[in-house]
Amino acid sequence: MRKGVLELCILSIIAEKESYPSDIIKKLKESEMIVVEGTLYPLLTRLKNAGLLHYNWQESTTGPPRKYFNLTEEGDAFLQELMGTWNALMHAVNQSTKNLQTK
Amino acid sequence: MNKVLNINLGGYPFTIDLDAYAMLEDYLQTIEHHFHNSEGCDEIIADIENRMAELFNEELGKRGIVGEKDVERAIAIMGTPEDFGAEPMEAGPKKSKKRKKKSSDFDGFKFGKRLFRDPEDTQVAGVCSGLAAYFGIEDPLWVRLGFVGFTLSGGVGIPLYIILWAITKEANSPSDRLSMKGEPINVSNIGKKVEEEMERFSEKVNEWGESEKWEEWKDKKKWKSSKEKIKKKFKKKMNQGFRAGEV
Repeated sequence: MRKGVLELCILSIIAEKESYPSDIIKKLKESEMIVVEGTLYPLLTRLKNAGLLHYNWQESTTGPPRKYFNLTEEGDAFLQELMGTWNALMHAVNQSTKNLQTK
Repeated sequence: MNKVLNINLGGYPFTIDLDAYAMLEDYLQTIEHHFHNSEGCDEIIADIENRMAELFNEELGKRGIVGEKDVERAIAIMGTPEDFGAEPMEAGPKKSKKRKKKSSDFDGFKFGKRLFRDPEDTQVAGVCSGLAAYFGIEDPLWVRLGFVGFTLSGGVGIPLYIILWAITKEANSPSDRLSMKGEPINVSNIGKKVEEEMERFSEKVNEWGESEKWEEWKDKKKWKSSKEKIKKKFKKKMNQGFRAGEV
């Protein structure tokens, strides 16, 4: 469950802007989704192997070249789909808990 | 004072304290072990190493040597192995099941096995126990029963047994015995086998010494005659040797 949400977050961060893993981490940390970087790499590798992401190497001034990740067309479609599911879920949960929240 | 090492991490050279190196190596190995079943393991490790290299570069600034504290900090940022373990790495339960099945299939059929006859566990010539070791069957009895079944039903069993007997060789050396069972041939494993074999040998000697065969043999005075034969042969050889030396 949390896994799928994390993927959704990563995909939307990358969709917003071509990103480098530690940028993604920074944003995820801000929203308290993930705490350590190590967990991100396996996820990115898997998304890439699934054809949702691709990356290119860019030279950096401080260290080794960095991988910058982009969404593929497939990834974009997948993101839309996930967003759809997420909204439906949000709606359903909101509907179910509405009474409790207003009390 | 501390010794330092030069390492290559993510394509960048670092000078690192021995303690820090041990820590880093331990960390990377634990992670590698954790991911070795996931797809893209090499890539994940390479990414992590690259990122660690980058972190070291950022931390070091003008300092030259990576110390234990730098490694600790980098690990804190990257996450401890427990953090990795706490996060399920598989996409879904389906995928992980598939992968697990694959790996268990593979366990029974280890790489680098060879078919031998097992001279230690024989009814006829050890073909069945060798087959059992090859296919990872615990008890060679089942293979033997299979052969008996074959023989009774169609008669292929005996010719097949003889062919297998002819084309396989006995696993006599420790390394043969290891590759019969598909265990990796390395120094410690061979050492283990040699020890086992020494034990078995001394057991056999003891058994034989206590058995009646020994007594019978002594009674028949074969011992004496064979001793004399050996002496004679030895003398002959010595003489020949001397002559050869003179010439």
